[in-house]
Amino acid sequence: MSRLRIERRRSSPASVEGGRIRRDPRAERQSAPPSEPARSEPNPASGRIRRDPRAARGPQRAATQSERTVAATPPRIQVENPACLILAVPDLDDGRLSSHDRDLLGAARLLADTAKGAVAVLVPAGCPEDFAAAGVDRLLPASLAPGYAPEAMTGAVLAAIARLEPRHILFAETPTGGGDIGRRVAAALKETTAHRVVRLSAEEAASRDQGGRSDFLRRPPRILLIAAEATDPPAGALREARPLAIMEVPATPLRIADGGLVATDPNAVPLAEADFIVSAGNGVTDWAAFHDAAAALGAAEGGSRVACDAGHLPRARQVGASGTLVEPRCYLAFGIAGAPQHLQGIQRCQRVVAVNTDLHADMVKRADLAIIADAQAVMPALSKLAREKRHGP
Amino acid sequence: MALEVAVLLSVGRHPASLRGRAAAADARAVELALRLGSRALIRALHAGDPAEPALQDYLGMGLETITVLRQPAGCDVLPALAAHLAFSRPQLILTGVAAETGPGSGMLPYLLADALGAALLANIAELAITGAGIGALQALPRGRRRSVSAALPTLATVSLASPAPRPWAFARARRGRIEVIDLPPGPPVAGDVREQPARPKPRRLKLATAGSAADRLRAATEIQAGRGRLLVDPAPEEAAAAIYDYLLEEGILSPPGKS
Repeated sequence: MSRLRIERRRSSPASVEGGRIRRDPRAERQSAPPSEPARSEPNPASGRIRRDPRAARGPQRAATQSERTVAATPPRIQVENPACLILAVPDLDDGRLSSHDRDLLGAARLLADTAKGAVAVLVPAGCPEDFAAAGVDRLLPASLAPGYAPEAMTGAVLAAIARLEPRHILFAETPTGGGDIGRRVAAALKETTAHRVVRLSAEEAASRDQGGRSDFLRRPPRILLIAAEATDPPAGALREARPLAIMEVPATPLRIADGGLVATDPNAVPLAEADFIVSAGNGVTDWAAFHDAAAALGAAEGGSRVACDAGHLPRARQVGASGTLVEPRCYLAFGIAGAPQHLQGIQRCQRVVAVNTDLHADMVKRADLAIIADAQAVMPALSKLAREKRHGP
Repeated sequence: MALEVAVLLSVGRHPASLRGRAAAADARAVELALRLGSRALIRALHAGDPAEPALQDYLGMGLETITVLRQPAGCDVLPALAAHLAFSRPQLILTGVAAETGPGSGMLPYLLADALGAALLANIAELAITGAGIGALQALPRGRRRSVSAALPTLATVSLASPAPRPWAFARARRGRIEVIDLPPGPPVAGDVREQPARPKPRRLKLATAGSAADRLRAATEIQAGRGRLLVDPAPEEAAAAIYDYLLEEGILSPPGKS
């Protein structure tokens, strides 16, 4: 016992034992000057000085640190001499890539990768979307006027086909977007299409039809109309998205005039299609105020199972697993606690606003904006405010 | 003077019983044409078998006559339709967006419009005759509608979002007549296509391919949580203002004065 204590005391100052020099990292650290003083700044969150053991360990680590920062900016994959080009024409509804557009770019990526080719995308000039992360190698901007002009767009696609000579031309199968433009292009070129493609590989494209009962398999023709979720969106490294010279669109006779979007009765369209839903649950007792709030905001009405069971709303308005699975851009819930079945129904909602008296309700956890208040007080205030802002006080 | 309207009819199939019936989109095209009333002179056209029982469904909606261009099964009906329409020259052609049977590619309206030099309006839900031509509402996703107009002649494809067809009546079906025109059969439909029963595909889960393994696990298992702004017991006016500002900020409501 005593012998051990002596040995310890001896070794600590001299660090010589049996002829070997023993390293004392703690002593070295304390004697060395702080190598990077900037690192010991107080943490903004807690205000405490944060210890950085890696910085204190000295300059031999600094090299790897700088290597790591270089590696953190991901390299962009460049394709210099592609074997072929795959032209994708995304819908870009209000200037953004939709999830269907991303699936389309995934299909283009799949065809390009198997043929060692490159993905080119036709966009209106000045589109703000970031295409490098969407697996795009070349960007072909076309001088297109804003607004709905399918004939001008068809002319632009035909000009792009003449310029790039792509192996495949891909459209998103949407009724008034890519599905329309793609068929116009196919009719102008007198070619066949593979429509509603639900599965795609380099050898085979499967078109779903016969009322959804059959798949029609064939070699992928030049023009492909890709259904949503047919392929996964492109993932992985960033691509170059090199912009090509702006393409002037040849003048085409325009026989269709765009009159713009028109206001429609939101309750006239099916709930699954609705863009903005105001929904009521068990916490709503003042139904006149609820209908008034929905009308003032121009939203479709929905309800939980409880509200529909009680007969306050028709069954077609029920949101949830046993009602309608809705995907509006915004879902405003009054007095809904958020049963799991109801939350399943709003799983695809982009934004949720909840007004509820219970702070611990699941709907409050799900919400992007949660208000702990009585719906009966908030609904009239909201409709009054909306009417004032719209028509003046 | 009444507008000459041609409605192209195809044979649909009931999704459960697989029995022949009027195609849903084509029946809606008939409905839109009938709603034009006395301002339209309607000619209904079908290319195929004149003895097809599904044609009675269209007659039962109130059509007086259906003209059938006799064509054998399995041949391309486009040449027959194009030849007949080039001869009769209707100012407006209505049809459903795609056939319900066979590989309904939805290409026929586009090829016909191209052959006849007509403007094409896709996926319309409502229709009106205007002074210069045709005004229509186009059905967009999310229940939105766009107003479009086109000069005559026009071919319009009718969406399933248009008004439901009127009820069928037996007496009307008995009164209606079927006229047959014999035309040379078209070429057989190209046969390099293999048909197989559709396999249902599960809806895709939310993908998380980027990030570390811990991130992917969290994305797969965590309850989807919102951005989480929380107001506890605000005054009703304050709560209303918070909701209204959020809706404006996210672009759900258009700013006042714009609409």
